[in-house]
Amino acid sequence: MATSKKNVDELTYKEASTELELIIRNLESGDMELEESLESYTRGVELLRSLRARLEDAEQKVSVLLKDVDGTDKLVAGEAADTSDRLSF
Amino acid sequence: MPGWNLTGTAPRAQGASEGDEALSVSQAVEMAASALDALPLLTVIGEVTGFRGPNARSGHCYFQIKDDACAVDCIIWRGSYAKRSFELRDGMQVQFTGNFNLYKATGRMSFVAKSFTLAGEGLLRQQVAALAEKLRLEGLCDDARKLRIPVFCTRVAVVTSLSGAVIDDVKRTLRRRNPLVELICVGAKVQGDGAPAELIEGLARAAAIDPAPDCILLVRGGGSFEDLMTFNDEALARAVASCPVPVVTGIGHEPDTSICDMVSDRRCSTPTAAAESVAPAMSDLVDVLDARERRMVTALTGTVRAASSDVAALRERADRAFGGYMSRLAMALDAAAARPCLRDPAWMVDRRLADLEQSADRLGGAAARGGVERGGA
Repeated sequence: MATSKKNVDELTYKEASTELELIIRNLESGDMELEESLESYTRGVELLRSLRARLEDAEQKVSVLLKDVDGTDKLVAGEAADTSDRLSF
Repeated sequence: MPGWNLTGTAPRAQGASEGDEALSVSQAVEMAASALDALPLLTVIGEVTGFRGPNARSGHCYFQIKDDACAVDCIIWRGSYAKRSFELRDGMQVQFTGNFNLYKATGRMSFVAKSFTLAGEGLLRQQVAALAEKLRLEGLCDDARKLRIPVFCTRVAVVTSLSGAVIDDVKRTLRRRNPLVELICVGAKVQGDGAPAELIEGLARAAAIDPAPDCILLVRGGGSFEDLMTFNDEALARAVASCPVPVVTGIGHEPDTSICDMVSDRRCSTPTAAAESVAPAMSDLVDVLDARERRMVTALTGTVRAASSDVAALRERADRAFGGYMSRLAMALDAAAARPCLRDPAWMVDRRLADLEQSADRLGGAAARGGVERGGA
């Protein structure tokens, strides 16, 4: 678990969430050295803060899979959903 | 030939000269009956109406078949009805094979059907049901072979028409529910000629995206039974079943169920419901994080508390052990201190003094005795 700790902000939401869950389980198991526990806790707090921030600033990302001229597929940024709730006629 | 008929009876067919002799009803009906009998075996498509099941007493069925303009009585004899492959119901489009028949006693014409099969949508439905059964027997609908869909899919491909309202519904639903879900739209025709092939290709392209999406939404808005027939295509159903990425379907509205729905890894009733099913709502994620924070704090508090009680126990043991050692030392010291040499340093001198005094006494005694003896000799 302590191997290759990436910067929290480089993790995807899912990766960060999975790591957090793992940290909590390890903390809950109570098998860790105190130093390790404190280190994990610090990491956990960091993950938690990052995850919370992401929930707050989440913006939808939409892309469209299009065929390129050579026939291969490529992802092209698409429009996110309209944020207004008015009806268009 | 009289110009009128006073008796009220039909004129007898005797005035052969004018060629317009009247027929008896029997003769006329007989002629019509033979004309009808001369018709070949007919196959007629019509809508069933007024069907009330086989007659309780005779077992024959009497009802009508109709189209927009016409209707005709229809009879199915008990023996023919017994060979049916499905139950007739009002409103069904059915293809009847049989002959016209005139019931001479009432002059009523009926179509006597010897056999019947479903036609139109009914036929399609029957074929769809047969395909569904076939795929079910192959095990394509078994839960055991369905792929697990992550609770929180963060990367989702949507295979549908990019021009309809459905793609917007999906985007809007997920933006509101969970904007962390990244959407990748893969366009394909969803109805008409070539739609199944485009959808099959769309699924393959979506599954090939790198990194692979967590799941694929295969969605389409509501439509008529025939509009939705695309999703009853066998090749498309097999592509859904064999897709390496889990497929979530949302096709049509609540009661619509297609073959694709049956073989997909998760079936939702509408495109919106399908979109909602792939990721938890933001508020739920916040709750999850809150719960995790509490767990983490509790766990660490527990660890620290356990460590500090360990420390306290160790300290107590150390105190006890050290205290014992100290008291042993003290006892040794006390014992040493209790020795007479230390308790009363004068004792050594006193003891020697006593020895000396004793020696002196003995010396004194000896000298006295020696003097007496020498003096006496």
